[in-house]
Amino acid sequence: MSPRNPGTELDLSWISKVQVNQPAVLRRAQQIQARRTVKKEWQAAWLLKAVTFIDLTTLSGDDTYSNIQRLCYKAKYPIRKDLLEALNMHDKGITTAAVCVYPARVCDAVKALQVASCHIPVASVATGFPAGQTHLKTRLEEIKLAVEDGAMEIDVVINRTLVLTGQWEGSDFIKTSTGKETVNATFPVAIVMLRAIRDFFWKTGNKVGFKPAGGIRSAKDSLAWLSLIKEELGDEWLKPELFRIGASALLSDIERQIYHHVTGRYAAYHDLPMC
Amino acid sequence: MAATRAESRAPEIFATMEYGPAPESHACALAWLDTQDRCLGHYVSGKWLKPENRKSVPCQDPVTGEGLASCLQAQAEDVAAAVEAARAALESWSGLPGASRAKHLTRLAKMIQKHQRLLWTLESLVTGRAVREVRDRDVPLAQQLLQYHAVQAHIQEEALAGWEPMGVIGLILPPTFSFLEMMWRICPALAVGCTVVVLAPPASLTPLLLAQLAGELGQFPGILNVLSGPAALALALAAQPGVQKVAFCGAIEEGRALRRLLAGTGPELGLALGTESLMLLTDAADVDSAVEGVVDAAWSDRSPGGLRLLIQESVWDEAMRRLQARMARLRVGRGLDGAVDMGARGAAARELAQRYEQEALSQGAQVFQAGDVPLDSPFFPPTLVSELPPSSPCAQAEVPWPLVLASPFRTAKEALAVANGTPRGGGASVWSERLGQALELGYGLRVGTVWINAHGLRDPAVPAGGCKESGSSWHGGLDGLYEYLRPPGTPPRRPCHSQDLNYDTFGLAVPSALPAGPETGPSPAPPYGLFVGGRFQAPGARSSRPIRDAQGNLHGYVAEGGAKDIRVAVEAAHQAAPGWVGQSPGARAALLWALAAALECREPALASRLQRHGVQPKAAQAEVELSVRRLRAWGARAQAQSHSLQVAELRGPVLRLREPLGVLAIVCPDECPLLAFVSLLAPALAHGNTVVVVPSETCPIPALEVCQDMASSLPAGLVNVVTGDRDHLTRCLALHQDVQALWYFGSAQGSQFAEWASAGNLKPVWAKGGCPQAWDQEAGGAGPELELRAARTKALWLPMGD
Repeated sequence: MSPRNPGTELDLSWISKVQVNQPAVLRRAQQIQARRTVKKEWQAAWLLKAVTFIDLTTLSGDDTYSNIQRLCYKAKYPIRKDLLEALNMHDKGITTAAVCVYPARVCDAVKALQVASCHIPVASVATGFPAGQTHLKTRLEEIKLAVEDGAMEIDVVINRTLVLTGQWEGSDFIKTSTGKETVNATFPVAIVMLRAIRDFFWKTGNKVGFKPAGGIRSAKDSLAWLSLIKEELGDEWLKPELFRIGASALLSDIERQIYHHVTGRYAAYHDLPMC
Repeated sequence: MAATRAESRAPEIFATMEYGPAPESHACALAWLDTQDRCLGHYVSGKWLKPENRKSVPCQDPVTGEGLASCLQAQAEDVAAAVEAARAALESWSGLPGASRAKHLTRLAKMIQKHQRLLWTLESLVTGRAVREVRDRDVPLAQQLLQYHAVQAHIQEEALAGWEPMGVIGLILPPTFSFLEMMWRICPALAVGCTVVVLAPPASLTPLLLAQLAGELGQFPGILNVLSGPAALALALAAQPGVQKVAFCGAIEEGRALRRLLAGTGPELGLALGTESLMLLTDAADVDSAVEGVVDAAWSDRSPGGLRLLIQESVWDEAMRRLQARMARLRVGRGLDGAVDMGARGAAARELAQRYEQEALSQGAQVFQAGDVPLDSPFFPPTLVSELPPSSPCAQAEVPWPLVLASPFRTAKEALAVANGTPRGGGASVWSERLGQALELGYGLRVGTVWINAHGLRDPAVPAGGCKESGSSWHGGLDGLYEYLRPPGTPPRRPCHSQDLNYDTFGLAVPSALPAGPETGPSPAPPYGLFVGGRFQAPGARSSRPIRDAQGNLHGYVAEGGAKDIRVAVEAAHQAAPGWVGQSPGARAALLWALAAALECREPALASRLQRHGVQPKAAQAEVELSVRRLRAWGARAQAQSHSLQVAELRGPVLRLREPLGVLAIVCPDECPLLAFVSLLAPALAHGNTVVVVPSETCPIPALEVCQDMASSLPAGLVNVVTGDRDHLTRCLALHQDVQALWYFGSAQGSQFAEWASAGNLKPVWAKGGCPQAWDQEAGGAGPELELRAARTKALWLPMGD
């Protein structure tokens, strides 16, 4: 993680001055997807970069040690080794940025990663995920327990009741949504959030990270997210300390695209290991 | 197949995260050029025309300079052949039911769909514009244009009843920018039943391809003919018999020259000039979104020209910082690369930008340039100019692509004054999240299109055009269709051009008037003088002109108006304008009706005046009665003016506003001295204009009679009536830079002069070339053409969202 956001005095005039024109933001969101494209080797390299931003996630009620273990192994070896070798990228230590699980599975994840002797951090959603509608006391307790179990990063669901009534909270990283909403990571929402991050940086010099989550499934989507970050915030935000993608299915599509780039053929389902 | 491991550049790219090349293949464009052996002629009547012994101009790739093809340059006889083809096709094409034309246009839309890759790669290859812009925006819009106009053709018989196609249209295209400029104009022309001859600039290939696609539909090959040749052929085009209108889009000075050149040659001239657009960025704006608006307006290959950006002082620093940060992310490169924002537009555009930059620097400006721009190149970087003294020559000049000229303003009122202070009036955007402020600015701007919190949106159903030096022709929507229509029964426009007309001396001298015997007019005579500023005033020259009746007896004297009187009258009209514009349509209607009532009371006197001028008693009475009716009718029509449109890809309405032209000068014909005067005056007033009228030269008395009533019933300065020598007064009005429009119903020579002189401020001129108008008929005296010409359109885009 980047150095903590030391925070700043709450100045509500910043917030009251913010103007967001929705139709204009929607237009920008449409354009940004069409105006940039990467092809061939650039595409392959960008996709590998995207892999390093992934918080490889499983947030299911039926998660057990076995599928958590599989997830952790995939986090360590996200792309088949021969494919990486073909791209001369096998020695770059490409892993996903983290694995992300429910608090009760943090132990499993930490253990599985230890077994694989892998130093990827474990992230845990906490604080009454996904609604956040539990008491502050239990929310804090939940964080404490997850950290005790070895979680290095906590995705906190903020109390949206406070936000909607104008009482704000600060953070090191902001996330588009829990991924469990009807609408999750969309470009228009992201644009507004990224502009807020940039304004905060310009005003205080502190860099806040950004994590879109939910609905990012295709390799093409991930490229669009990367170019969105590059365009709105710049290259300095293109690192795992400041940018994450919360996803589960994305990785396998990226791997398929890399397979195609390297071999010139489209992969069958069984050609690539599942996660 | 991918590169082998040793060659793989993936590690390097992985580290830098740079964008790479994303080339779009243009093989099909080259293959198409090969079908013509890389030598393109003209496309006339469904066939390629490659005449012998013509000069040829090379068409080059604007980035590499590589020769792509050579284009034969048309000569006058080629123009004649093309017009002949269009004329031959006109009869069958205009005679078709609208539904059949609709079918044909739909087929053309499908044809474009089938060959869209060829279209976009050729266009991007030749113009150098970003292929993404051509592919994702221009080509779909071209299809939408055809579809929209197919619908318009389908419903033409109902929706456009009372209009008929003009005939053969000549279209002159500018040397740069998009093939859409052609589509915007040929679609409505073809839809209403006109046929077209396009004069495309040398080495512009897409219009030829479009003509071929249209020609290969088989039927009606002659409706669209494309020549490539120099703009100097405009005169040859206008002079061809049958050409009823010349539509020109291009640079302002070229338009001005063309206006002078074509004065009196017959065809109507439609001008769409200049490329600069305008943006007002207020302190209540979403500044980041506004910055994207600037990108759309100047740095995206979406817009043909530069941008004049007015930023409220309180957000100046913030806006400039964001602009500069955004500029750093722009990518410039070969247009056929799928990931560039801006391509290269050839040497001429680059030189224009360079010259402006140098001059701005020498006049004290700050210039900021940024972006990912190849060094060894014909490219010009995105450029932001600021700190330019407002009175410097550069600040007045048109801002070229791809420059943005930023200057601060303090209040919204000041922003309007600055924005309306330029001679141009094309498109403008207003950025403010305060609804009231945005609408106030949107309504106040004197331009053709206003976008609220957006810039550069287009839709086939929304008229786009301009005012002032941006020219007064329209494309898109209903207004675009009217450009190629005329009321039925209008005689075809014929040349009334006189080589002998000396523009320097026409109407310069006023004949001196001497006492001419005893006055025999009835008493009480109307007050003597010019009706200016709401009262009768002595003319500046302090001289008079005799008015004779039908028998040649001296009827009386009227004031001899001159240049100074015109000046005073125009000033009075300007002073009255804000008050009159501010009146509700209902209030305007009430005043016109009051005037009608007063006229009714004066009927016997007016009828007897007309009889003195040889009008039969019954006809005289009918003329007065009809005049009264006209006032009432226009008063009633003042009510319904604007309407809103719904367009694709926009939530929220687009308002089609009908705004007054400003100060309208009307030169009345000699015939129907009362009826023509009232028939012209009433629509002008109903639409919110203030007017300076020159009444019938031979019989001005009835108009002066009406002035007596206007003195008591209308606001001072609303109507100003200046009697005198028509040629002299026409000269003064046509050359006046602050008269916004001129209607001229005098002689052929006067028409020619009025057209020529209007080039000064490019005011729209309605001159009939000496042809009489049937004032007593509904079409001639109260028809939709008057309504159309009495106001100008403004499109106001109002996107909505929470």
